[in-house]
Amino acid sequence: MGPKATEKKRKVQDAEPESDDEIAPDFDGALSQSEDEFDSDFDDNEHEQDGEQESGSEASDDEDEEGSLLSDDIPSDAEGDKAMGKLVLEDEEEELEIEIPGVDPKRPEKDDGDKNYRIEKDANGNERYVYDEIDPVYDSDDSDAQEAPNTIGNIPMSFYDSYPHIGYDINGKKIMRPATGDALDALLDSIEVPKGWTGLTDIHTGNPLNLNDDELELVRRVQMGMIPNELENPYPETVEYFTGIEEKMPLSAAPEPKRRFLPSKNEAKKIMKLVRAIREGRILPYKPPEEREKEEEEEEQYFDIWQDEVPQEVNPLHIPAPKLPPPGFDMSYNPPAEYLPTKEEREEWEKLDPEEREKEYLPQKYDSLRKVPGYGEIVKERFERCMDLYLAPRVRKNRLNIDPNSLLPKLPSPSELKPFPTVAQTVFRGHDGRVRSVAIDPTGVAVASGGDDGTVRVWELLTGRQVWSVKLSSEEAVNTVRWRPAKDSFILSAAVGEDVYLMVPTHASVTPALDQASRDILSAGFGYATNGQQHGAAPGKEPPAKWARPGAKLEDEGVLIRITVRSTVKVINWHRKGDHFATVSPSGQRSSVAIHTLSKHLTQIPFRKLSGLAQTASFHPLRPLFFVATQRTIRCYDLQKLELVKVVQPGAKWISSFDIHPGGDNLIVGSYDKRLLWHDLDLSIRPYKTMRFHSEAVRQVKYHRGGLPLFADASDDGTLQIFHGKVPNDQLENPTIVPVKVLKGHKVVNKLGVLDMDWHPREPWCVSAGADGTIRLWM
Amino acid sequence: MPKIKKKGQAGAAKNYITRTQAVKKLQLSLPDFRKLCIWKGIYPREPRNKKKVSKSATASTTFYYTKDIQYLLHEPLLQKFRDQKVLEKKISRALGRGDVSDAARFERHAARPEATGKPRYTLNHVIRERYPTFNDALRDLDDCLSMLFLFANLPSTSAVPAKMIARCERLCLEFQHYLIVSHSLRKSFLSIKGIYYQANIQGEDILWLVPYKFNQRIVGDVDFRIMGTFVEFYMTLLGFVNYRLYSSIGLKYPPKFDQLKDENGAELGAFSLEGVNMATQGETKAVTNGEEQQQGPDPKVQAEVDKIIKQLKEDESKSDETAEEDAEADDEEKPTDSIDKFEPVAPGGDVLPQPAYSSSDPSQLFANFTFYLSRETPRQPLEFILRAFGCKRIGWDSVLGEGAFTNDESDPSITHHIIDRPVVQAATNEDGDGEDNQTAQKVGPNQRYPGRIYVQPQWVWDCVNDEELKSPELYAPGAALPPHLSPFVKAAPGQYDPTLPLEAQQTEAEAIEADLEDAEKGNAEDGSDVENDMDVDEAEDDEEEEEGDEEDAEEAEEEDAEEDEEESKTLQRQLELEAELQGKKVQNTKVDSKTKAKLEQRKALEKKAREEAEDLERAKGMLSKKKRKLFEQMQYTNNKKSAQDEKLRAKRRKLEKEKAQKA
Repeated sequence: MGPKATEKKRKVQDAEPESDDEIAPDFDGALSQSEDEFDSDFDDNEHEQDGEQESGSEASDDEDEEGSLLSDDIPSDAEGDKAMGKLVLEDEEEELEIEIPGVDPKRPEKDDGDKNYRIEKDANGNERYVYDEIDPVYDSDDSDAQEAPNTIGNIPMSFYDSYPHIGYDINGKKIMRPATGDALDALLDSIEVPKGWTGLTDIHTGNPLNLNDDELELVRRVQMGMIPNELENPYPETVEYFTGIEEKMPLSAAPEPKRRFLPSKNEAKKIMKLVRAIREGRILPYKPPEEREKEEEEEEQYFDIWQDEVPQEVNPLHIPAPKLPPPGFDMSYNPPAEYLPTKEEREEWEKLDPEEREKEYLPQKYDSLRKVPGYGEIVKERFERCMDLYLAPRVRKNRLNIDPNSLLPKLPSPSELKPFPTVAQTVFRGHDGRVRSVAIDPTGVAVASGGDDGTVRVWELLTGRQVWSVKLSSEEAVNTVRWRPAKDSFILSAAVGEDVYLMVPTHASVTPALDQASRDILSAGFGYATNGQQHGAAPGKEPPAKWARPGAKLEDEGVLIRITVRSTVKVINWHRKGDHFATVSPSGQRSSVAIHTLSKHLTQIPFRKLSGLAQTASFHPLRPLFFVATQRTIRCYDLQKLELVKVVQPGAKWISSFDIHPGGDNLIVGSYDKRLLWHDLDLSIRPYKTMRFHSEAVRQVKYHRGGLPLFADASDDGTLQIFHGKVPNDQLENPTIVPVKVLKGHKVVNKLGVLDMDWHPREPWCVSAGADGTIRLWM
Repeated sequence: MPKIKKKGQAGAAKNYITRTQAVKKLQLSLPDFRKLCIWKGIYPREPRNKKKVSKSATASTTFYYTKDIQYLLHEPLLQKFRDQKVLEKKISRALGRGDVSDAARFERHAARPEATGKPRYTLNHVIRERYPTFNDALRDLDDCLSMLFLFANLPSTSAVPAKMIARCERLCLEFQHYLIVSHSLRKSFLSIKGIYYQANIQGEDILWLVPYKFNQRIVGDVDFRIMGTFVEFYMTLLGFVNYRLYSSIGLKYPPKFDQLKDENGAELGAFSLEGVNMATQGETKAVTNGEEQQQGPDPKVQAEVDKIIKQLKEDESKSDETAEEDAEADDEEKPTDSIDKFEPVAPGGDVLPQPAYSSSDPSQLFANFTFYLSRETPRQPLEFILRAFGCKRIGWDSVLGEGAFTNDESDPSITHHIIDRPVVQAATNEDGDGEDNQTAQKVGPNQRYPGRIYVQPQWVWDCVNDEELKSPELYAPGAALPPHLSPFVKAAPGQYDPTLPLEAQQTEAEAIEADLEDAEKGNAEDGSDVENDMDVDEAEDDEEEEEGDEEDAEEAEEEDAEEDEEESKTLQRQLELEAELQGKKVQNTKVDSKTKAKLEQRKALEKKAREEAEDLERAKGMLSKKKRKLFEQMQYTNNKKSAQDEKLRAKRRKLEKEKAQKA
């Protein structure tokens, strides 16, 4: 201890001149001390350096900072010093500090009030404040650091025997030898042994060494060889805090880092930053609430925001919100009386859901303004408007603000389209049951018909008088009747079941010459027929048709030839020259289509195989083409090259009939699915126009053959529809199709209406055969 | 080989974005997104083909343009919303910690437009963006004004703070002041929903609705957050519009606002307008409330004031309203903005329609009158409309609030008294109106001041809409008022117009029908021989059967007509049968020659109609399916309209007949 202390002292003294310079201003600021007061400065310095040394710090280059940090401690430092001085100077009763470690020297209480300085006169006679010594309360755990009051170190006290003092205290002041009591005192002492008196003298202080009870007990225990502290058991029972198993390695052997013991420089920096910011006003403390309230009440600042307005082009994608419609008359509080709802209207309005109402209000009349109540829905309506503004998708809809009639095509007026049939001129009655087929003869004077009663009848066209009749079969119906188109004969063909009959009816217009010519045409082929059959039919194979005479009874009536084919014939269609005709029997599978040659009494089956069921077949009016309609398609064959030319696809589900325009380039198709289709054969295989004006199936379609631009269809809904269908000569133009007339008159029987129709060869007249057993002539 | 195009990489799929995607892209909450859309005027679009647009299996309902959303990405408000979100997070965290004071502090510093009526952010830039020019803003002012006037009349609730209401009210009053000073109010209409006003500002027609002053019932599912967002935007908009309007006529904005007067219910009177420079100040003051200062009916002062007003008026009529700077230099050479009158110099030229504002100024309609509003009349709209049309002196009962020219009903300067109470028939003694002590002066129930015109409030509106002073007799107290017609309906040809006589607008068929009915009725009263009529009936029946045979597909209206016809016939038959049963001689109509002619006419008309219908049917058959649909739609609306008109005409005919019978 001794050498250490001296060393310290030397150092202090060395540092004296310059440290004064360095440190003084700092302390000046803090304590307003003058330079004269060197002592206290010095003391402080010393303490500081002690502290540094003890904590192992090396240099004092950042002394100023630490000085400022420590400056708080200075007053208490002074106290401590004073106390120490007291200890040295005065009273006996104070016990020595060194004796028991851990017992702090008691600090005497200050009696000079709250002043911690005294006023003195300095050399110049000015007032000088002298502060008390500062006690650097040094709280260290290090018990070794207990300072010895005497700093002479470990030398024999006898060295000081010749001096009045016995050593130096830490401040370098002499520790005076306590006055040794005189004899009386010694006597008194001996008599009145104070408590804890030992009779020894403390070698360091020279005071009599007193021991209190605890210390005496301690000494006694040491002497007895006992454990010095009775409360302390050196060998306590082991308490296993964690586990009995010993860890091989400690959790962390790292020594505690130094930073744990140092105040953080980083934090200090941050704090300084904040302090500086606050000083400069960069960080503002929160405003008092009143100020804020005031601010809120401040008016919003308005200015001319459109000062430098530049009109912008309207974005074409932007759709401005539509304005609400202005109020009408019925919204008035006092509307004209006709706007007020009647009772029924009111009830109806009230019955409806609010969403379904056309208008959200009911017109109401108040006879004076003061009676008008508030409108309850106004907030809701506004809200809905708001919702519309932001949530409703906006679409620009081009409203056609035109007269709807301008959309309609400019149709020629019906009077321009005339002539066409309009009324039922004649009704032909006589058939028993349905009339299945009707045809007008090529000269246009007679009408032939065939019906369910198995008869074929010929009528006078204009008068409706029956002129000829023959019963072909008692069981089966006459499916179809057709005239041979050539005018040089008067030959009628009719199909009953599997038989096709060719006959020459008697008629007023038929001259004997014509009759004879017709009979000749029919009988001319008999020679060929036998040959042809022998040629055509392979032995063992059934011939496609048998040509025969029907028997004397029928021959008397005028029926001359019977052709029997394999299955029921539904359709007969003649070639325009009158030598060939085609029959179609839909149930006939392979042999459903047959072409018969009248002059040779020959029957051929042109198709070995047909895709689909044949419905009807027809010759092209001009070219050697042959059309066969199956259920879905119409196939066109070239008869010369014997090949398929094209397949027309009307798109109908089930074709009932078709007809070819006399020009040969257009085609109309009727279908059981209520459609009438116009095909332009040059244009496409798909329909050019689709007409759906019937509510039931279309049974028959026909072009007018006599040069009038008319066509008609017959339907199961009991009507015929007459169309104006003009095919222009120019190939580039499209045909114009105009519906002109609906002919109503036939009654619908068992869901069957008009079964067949035919045009007059020259006039705009037509006949129709109905399921009601009548035939009507329309003109 | 061409590049393979992937699905959903181009075209409609890229151009549209669903709402969920948009919200995700903007990293906002849905309410914030809603706010942003409202403010920025972004609205959903309807894609042509929804299937091509939506990538998900479920059908999305709302699509936005991707470009619109990209445009929102650069919005500065977005950052504000995010800040707000951060703040809310802080508050909730503080509350979670139980640190209430901290949370309160955060909240105090939050931007809370809902609570304070004033946001921390401004929408100025949005206004400028959405309305690049002032006229754009005016074009969009309809909804803005309707909304703000509604909110100015709402009760304050937690959803609608009182401050917001006060601000709305103030902005609205300021706007009304502009309309008064600039005389730009054009029309007004008393509807059952409220009062519609139409103003014309810088060539833009603005129409808005002000509800009647009643406590508004707030029904059902009204989300005030959405409304509040709109109001916030509209408040800013109207503020800027007001500023611009005020400065355009040389007034200072905002005008001075007297809190005390406002609390006493002065409304319009609480504001005092100031000119930007001193020269205009006097004038504008006179316009607004200069007259109202003097309370007593001092005839001398009145005369002086009248003189001044006259002078002012002359000045005004000479100088243009907006050109107030050069008020002192009133030369006759001064160019004006007003339209010059074109007088034909030589006869024979066509007459071109010209706006008549230069000749008789409707803005000075009530300039020479002093009005007194009796206490049952609605003061606010009356005051506004009267002032807007030039009236300078309006007095009213003190219960109606402050700011009146006079509260004294007996003031001799009053020329018109607007009254809306029934005429009390009996009780001539004065005791009867003992409870009527709210008025300053006690007046007998039927007592009238002589020399004064008493009218009902509707008179003011009808005068304004027709731009002329209507005859006050029609509008006298207790009189049955003439119907109040909407001035916004523009007469379209063929549409029903209640102002025209019935004869001028009914169709030929209707006229004949009506005449026939009249004749039949007339005949039913005086009996005559039977056979004649029977014959006619039979003939008609035959005809009908034929019709039935011939036509199946007929127009609906035609059928209606036929039904009517049939009805009348069955009625007749019924009458005949009844008469027979009772053994009386059949009382029936003598069909005079006139009726016969009419009948024939009708037949001819019907035939014509039938033919036309047939033609139409044929023509329609030739249209393509698409065009036919379009045609049918158009016809549908047209028919509906004409059916409505027909109904109205029928009603009116009936009413007129009833009236004639009574008379």
